[in-house]
Amino acid sequence: MSSQKYIIGTFNDEEPLLEAVKEVRAAGTPIHECYTPFPVHGLDEALGYRRSRLPRAAFMFGVLGFSLALFMQAWMLGYDWPMNIGGKPALAWPDFVPVTFELTVLITALGMVGTYLVASGFLPGNEAKMPDIRCTSHVFCIAIPSNTADYDKIHALLMRHGADEVEEREIEL
Amino acid sequence: MYESPIRRPLITGKTSYAQITDDIATAVEAKPTKWWYIGFIVSLAGLGLWLLTVTYLLVTGVGVWGLNKTVDWGWDITNFVWWVGIGHAGTLISAILLLFRQKWRTAVNRSAEAMTIFAVICAGTYPLLHAGRPWVIYWVFPLPNTYGSLWANFNSPLLWDVFAISTYFTVSLVFWYVGLIPDLATIRDRAEGVRKKIYGLLAFGWNGSAKAWQRFESVSLILAGLATPLVLSVHTIVSMDFATSVIPGWHTTIFPPYFVAGAVFSGFAMVLTLLIIMRKVMRLEAYITLNHIDVMNKIILVTGSIVGSAYITEFFIAWYSAVPFERYAFVNRAFGPYWWAYWAMMTCNVITPQLFWSQKLRRNITAVFIISIFVNIGMWFERFVIIVTSLHRDYLPSSWAMYSPTWVEIGMFVGSLGLFFTLFFLFAKFLPVIAIAEVKSIVKTSAEEHIKKTAEKEGIDIKEVNPQIA
Amino acid sequence: MGHHHEVAVHEEKFVVPARLRNITFGLMGIGLVAIVVGLMTDSHRFWANFLLNNWYFLGVALMGTLFLATQSVSNAGWSAGFKRIPEAMATYLPYAFAGFAIIILSVLMHWNHTYHWTHEGIADPTSPDFDEIIAEKVAYLNLPFMIGRVVVIFTLWYLFSRVMRRNSLAEDLQGGFKMLKRNKTISAIFLPVFAVSWAMACWDFIMSIDTHWYSTIFWVYHFAAAWVTAISIIALTVIYLRRAGYLSIVSEHHMHDLGKFMFAFSIFWTYIWLSQFLLIFYANIPEESIYYQERFEHFKLLFWINLVINFVVPFLLFMTRGSKRNESMMILVGVLLIIGKWIDLYIGIMPGTVGSHAHIGFVEIGMFLGFLGLFTFVFTRSLTKASLVPTKHPYIKEFVTHEVL
Repeated sequence: MSSQKYIIGTFNDEEPLLEAVKEVRAAGTPIHECYTPFPVHGLDEALGYRRSRLPRAAFMFGVLGFSLALFMQAWMLGYDWPMNIGGKPALAWPDFVPVTFELTVLITALGMVGTYLVASGFLPGNEAKMPDIRCTSHVFCIAIPSNTADYDKIHALLMRHGADEVEEREIEL
Repeated sequence: MYESPIRRPLITGKTSYAQITDDIATAVEAKPTKWWYIGFIVSLAGLGLWLLTVTYLLVTGVGVWGLNKTVDWGWDITNFVWWVGIGHAGTLISAILLLFRQKWRTAVNRSAEAMTIFAVICAGTYPLLHAGRPWVIYWVFPLPNTYGSLWANFNSPLLWDVFAISTYFTVSLVFWYVGLIPDLATIRDRAEGVRKKIYGLLAFGWNGSAKAWQRFESVSLILAGLATPLVLSVHTIVSMDFATSVIPGWHTTIFPPYFVAGAVFSGFAMVLTLLIIMRKVMRLEAYITLNHIDVMNKIILVTGSIVGSAYITEFFIAWYSAVPFERYAFVNRAFGPYWWAYWAMMTCNVITPQLFWSQKLRRNITAVFIISIFVNIGMWFERFVIIVTSLHRDYLPSSWAMYSPTWVEIGMFVGSLGLFFTLFFLFAKFLPVIAIAEVKSIVKTSAEEHIKKTAEKEGIDIKEVNPQIA
Repeated sequence: MGHHHEVAVHEEKFVVPARLRNITFGLMGIGLVAIVVGLMTDSHRFWANFLLNNWYFLGVALMGTLFLATQSVSNAGWSAGFKRIPEAMATYLPYAFAGFAIIILSVLMHWNHTYHWTHEGIADPTSPDFDEIIAEKVAYLNLPFMIGRVVVIFTLWYLFSRVMRRNSLAEDLQGGFKMLKRNKTISAIFLPVFAVSWAMACWDFIMSIDTHWYSTIFWVYHFAAAWVTAISIIALTVIYLRRAGYLSIVSEHHMHDLGKFMFAFSIFWTYIWLSQFLLIFYANIPEESIYYQERFEHFKLLFWINLVINFVVPFLLFMTRGSKRNESMMILVGVLLIIGKWIDLYIGIMPGTVGSHAHIGFVEIGMFLGFLGLFTFVFTRSLTKASLVPTKHPYIKEFVTHEVL
């Protein structure tokens, strides 16, 4: 993605940011993103984000892991090479519970975390696309695309909510 | 989120977000202290001993251990169970306490999870080496082979263990790393040069966007939901290594939950041992407060009491079963040749944690440190008692035997502590030992100054309702 | 932080609607008929069902107190607003005690042969009824000792539940933090008292039915079952009260949390179930595996229904976030769990009492409904005795503003 012009507002606390986000959205101005040092309760809602669909991905991986694990054990011990172990039937289902459980958890966890990292574009060595590097420490940023915003109005609005700085910059986000 | 001002503060002193970043990141950025070097060198010496004894073991064979044909599990499996158990506290803190929304978790989860990972590594070495030929350990996995194909035996609890421990290790590592990513980004954004490159590589391009945080929280919650039954399953399956057998003293149905409780119990003791040192050496008293220690001691009290109830249940049911072998196994534990191990276990595990009924003791660092060591020792003895006293005298008196460890086993145990602490010291130097972002997220509810503010707003005398706040 | 809920907290007095009262009387009427039918047709079956239902609701009542104790020691705020429900549940305890007094009396009078170890001559080597294994256990399994234990245990349970309730009601009048602290201390003491006494009660009343058989996890298993039942009843009561216009301070966030409890503890119950079953199945020691042999042979259908209804269905239905916030779904899962735990207990008790010809008929269903009617009557009557909302609870403001991500 190429760079674009954004109005960047910075705050030193999450509460004014949250209020500002609500007001900007209420005024009908689209917001690109907010950047915060920690998860701010209610910010995703204020930005109008839908709930993450990662739980669904996790469920799919869970079903996959469960089926694979159960099939593997049943096929290996029940069909491919049945053995008499402790006088138990070849398909001793209760004995398959632990490994089935473990593999379900393993595949769910790996699959879901993989999905999360890929979907968010977080991979080893990736460049961090953020407006201010202090956002990982103590600065809360809002980025509003310039082409759909009135700079003066937004500037006034953010300052009224206690922004430390508001500026327009061309960056890649 | 509103919180009542009668809740105890979890962060003391000045708590601006910048200050929190500074306090925690500085430890990663600054040169290590003298104490760090001393500790690290001592640990390295332990690691050296471990390498030496393991090399000797591999070159000579498992015969260098004191095991015999009656007692064929000894210190090796004792240490394995002990180490795995220690790991459980980390997962309890990071997963179960997340589900229970315990805010004090945020200050201790990072180091406790690191402890989990290192403890599981130490644990894994024992079955690996006990197998005799670790270079063919991949045989435990169901891989096609030249017997065309005789698969691994999925009816065996030992194989369940392979899957449980490896899943546990992997998921714990992933959970830990997912939580680390935002903090690695924090370090990245403060660093320069090569360090910036390295931490940048490790931080995966984290940018702290609202979308990223939303997904982060979703992933954390699901991982916690997975890790919670997982951690229960791990020690459950470890307990089944014993309980599926017909050995008196091993085959008892309460083993699964009782092992889990014991694991959490010993794990918290180790967490306390580590944190009490760490908060002092790294000056983190404002984040790992007396209130944190207090509440962890309560968990020790609860889990210790559960373990105590399990002991009583086992003893009673052994008698109630009217099975002579079962009864003998328990009498032999308490009054047989290994009576000292049994009573060491009872004293350390049942009596010492009961001291924590006293709030004074729960908040006395020296006392807590000593008791935590006692619990560590007690839980080691518990596994020794279960394994050795049950094996050394079972159904056939003609094959009764005694067991004592050789220098190799002792060396390997001491050495594994070296391995553990070496890893922990490296972690404490190169990674943020406290979850920076998570601690920031509880400032508005749990920092001392904010609690004072809430009290003031509600017209409550803070000194009266919350004596923990000076 | 953005969300400022200003929900007023005020007293709410619950009045039992005539319809509900009539239903409870109706249920008790059915129960009475079932008791008469049971007594006249098959007294074995009657006593087994009497024990089953009495134990079932004893568990529910006691878990009310345990729930309060766990919430108290963990400084929980999320459950403060509906704590009157578990409190009222615990007021059923004396009725359950009376039930057990009847059971013990019937054993003493030789009307009731549920407990094999109470048979005359069982520990006497010269008697034709001599049982070598039971003779080994008589130091524990004998009526005088058992009655003594039960009296002590019931007294303790009664005192703890009573004092906790009294303090909680006192808090409503005087406010402040004193009662919160006092109840916390009492709760902390109750926990170990509960563990030991509950274990003994499980051994005495249930495990000793299959006198030869033993399992160390037994009391944990029964705890898990009763706990899930109690949580389900709490959840259903909250829904009922909300629909009747009370407890408006309870939001979907609280329901979500209750749903999580039901979900998590049905998994926990399954875990304990599996621990016991798998270990006995695996080791296959005859004196242990006979327990499941009997149940699997003669109660096969219920054996599987038990797992489906208590684990598979709640697990699948309650996996998503939305379903835990959906009242109809919660009613479905709650009712299933309440029935499921009864079935679980049925397969626990019947093989050792009625034997392989036990079946679920009018006596079983009627007596369950009768006990349910009695329990609901006592429980709802206690709900009317105090404000449903503990207005002066120190965590009530946290409760009102409670939010779950």
